[in-house]
Amino acid sequence: MLDILFFAGLGLYFASMLLRFFGQVWQKDTVSTLSWRIFMAGFAAQTAYIIMRGLEAGRIPMANQFEFAVMFSWGIAVILVVLHYRLNLNWITTIAIIMTWGIYLYAALLPRQINELMPALRSVWFVSHIGSAAFSYAAFMLAGASGIRYLLIHGKNPADERLEEIDYFIYRLIAIGLLLLTVTIVIGAIWAEEAWSSFWTWDPKEVWALITWILYAIGLHLRLGQKKKGVFMAWYAVIAVPVVLFTFIGVNTLMSGLHSYGAAVKMLL
Amino acid sequence: MTFGVILLGLVIAVSVIGSVIPQQREAMYYVRQYPSTYQLILQLGLDRVFTSWYFIVIIILLCLNLILCSLLRWRFLQKADPAGAVLGRASDVKLPLAKRQAVETYLEKILRCRKVDAGKKKIYLKYQFGRYGTFITHLGILLTVIFFAAGMALPKLHDTSCYPGESIILDDGTEIMIESFSIEDDTGRLDYRSVINVTMPDGRSTGPSDLSVNHPVSIGSLKVYQQTYGTVGQISVTDNAGHKDSFFVESNDFLSADGKNGILIDNLYPGLEETEEGTKLIMSTSGRYKNPVYLFMVMQEGTQEAMLAFPGDEIEVGGYTYRFEAPVEYPGLRIKKAPAYANICLLISVMILTAGLFITFLLSPVTVLIDEEGYLLPGGRPEGVRLKLKAIADGKGETHA
Repeated sequence: MLDILFFAGLGLYFASMLLRFFGQVWQKDTVSTLSWRIFMAGFAAQTAYIIMRGLEAGRIPMANQFEFAVMFSWGIAVILVVLHYRLNLNWITTIAIIMTWGIYLYAALLPRQINELMPALRSVWFVSHIGSAAFSYAAFMLAGASGIRYLLIHGKNPADERLEEIDYFIYRLIAIGLLLLTVTIVIGAIWAEEAWSSFWTWDPKEVWALITWILYAIGLHLRLGQKKKGVFMAWYAVIAVPVVLFTFIGVNTLMSGLHSYGAAVKMLL
Repeated sequence: MTFGVILLGLVIAVSVIGSVIPQQREAMYYVRQYPSTYQLILQLGLDRVFTSWYFIVIIILLCLNLILCSLLRWRFLQKADPAGAVLGRASDVKLPLAKRQAVETYLEKILRCRKVDAGKKKIYLKYQFGRYGTFITHLGILLTVIFFAAGMALPKLHDTSCYPGESIILDDGTEIMIESFSIEDDTGRLDYRSVINVTMPDGRSTGPSDLSVNHPVSIGSLKVYQQTYGTVGQISVTDNAGHKDSFFVESNDFLSADGKNGILIDNLYPGLEETEEGTKLIMSTSGRYKNPVYLFMVMQEGTQEAMLAFPGDEIEVGGYTYRFEAPVEYPGLRIKKAPAYANICLLISVMILTAGLFITFLLSPVTVLIDEEGYLLPGGRPEGVRLKLKAIADGKGETHA
């Protein structure tokens, strides 16, 4: 049942992405509307999957790379749904659906078995630390998506009136992402002090979280202080996305450290 | 500002190097792993970049930059009077009366600004303390860096292990008694848990306290962490007169009364495995040893013979009976001594930083002047309000900006 829900979500997101693409090529609103409905069905399937997996595991499903990837993808979908219904922002939808599906597809490539929560992860900080990280990454990804959209629109028509709004949302998404990443790092530090005796160990995951934080802080600093906006900020948001992805995927797969929960069980307890 | 951005860029560059090259290893590690570049790595201190002189210099410069930046911002904030500053100015967006009223309705009813009447002009104000957002953020970063450095430098760490029923005595006379330790709970789930009793030199004591991962035991400036664990063999020895003694045994321990006859422990293994090629010893496992087996040598009359034994087995050598007992798990502890104020100061610093970011991004100050011709939003900030007012002015009031 869990697998059915998981792959239903993945398939629906893919179908939505294709329809969205054709809807834009053919300039058919009905196809785009259908695409959105299919996306919402995929979102419902993914939400149900997360809930059911959580019930089966007896915990919030965020304990390994697979579960985090599912939550990360879901975070992008949640923010997209909020932007769609509350703020009626449609310019971000296509790229955001691709990102939601892309991260979910990455999750599909990872082992899906439910493991017992290891002792190091049994903490009151578990949900807030990992949850805020997932939503922070999601906000950065959507900022990148907005950046791509900005550049595409700007390429066609630099005077397009949507550009100002997109530019503002790039700023807002990065600001919210940075705030959430700050919370992630702070809670992580408090947790690390309880678990490992030191709030900071220069572990690769910590270092790359710090790099991500500084990178976006510089971006906001340039925007607020030196009024670097528009095309510059759009490019900045796009170029920063690989750093976020490296912090999420690259560090866990290429570097070993205290956050490598799949491998170093005994070291971590 | 540019200098600060350059410094942050340098912090990123050093951090990338520090994450790519494993840190704090022995020199030989780099010689083996990086045969062509190890000299460069060692000479430039790339094996420990986060404690290198150049990283410390960058951080000090960053602190100085933050101090200067904070002072400049503080001076600017002390001089600034947002309401007074806009009062002498005129609107720069001209609107007809209906739209001006729509703008005012938005500012008053939706944004819930405070209205100040000044003759024919009105000033709408909200979140004025938000002006302090960037100052608080910079101050928070500065304090975080300072107390972070203190928090990294001050603690004294000591890793040790101790068998259940025994005590660790620290240099200052503090005693840590390990009353019990287990690696699995009643359901068989991994759960590394000790019961310890810490007694300080002045007599203060924690009493028997549960120690587990994520739940250190604290007393005064001392904190004890559940860090790792090990499994040790146990052998009871009985002589002909019936006197019995018990020993924890590790690899290469030699139990003998005369130094010649006895048993030499080779190793304790988690279990045996039947394979097509025969019986093999399991070399490592996670959790409790399911079927522990001792590999040992019997040394007797100048001969030696390798043997296996399971818990409960007995063997007589040189007039002594050696009984192999079930292995015992023991905790590896980390003992940390650090003044509590360092962590408290750091915590306050990061809270200031987080609050600063929150205020900067989510509580930006709003100052809007309305006169008889239109409105003025100085500097076009906050951008959200600017876009909203623009939407109202353009007759697209429903736009959510």
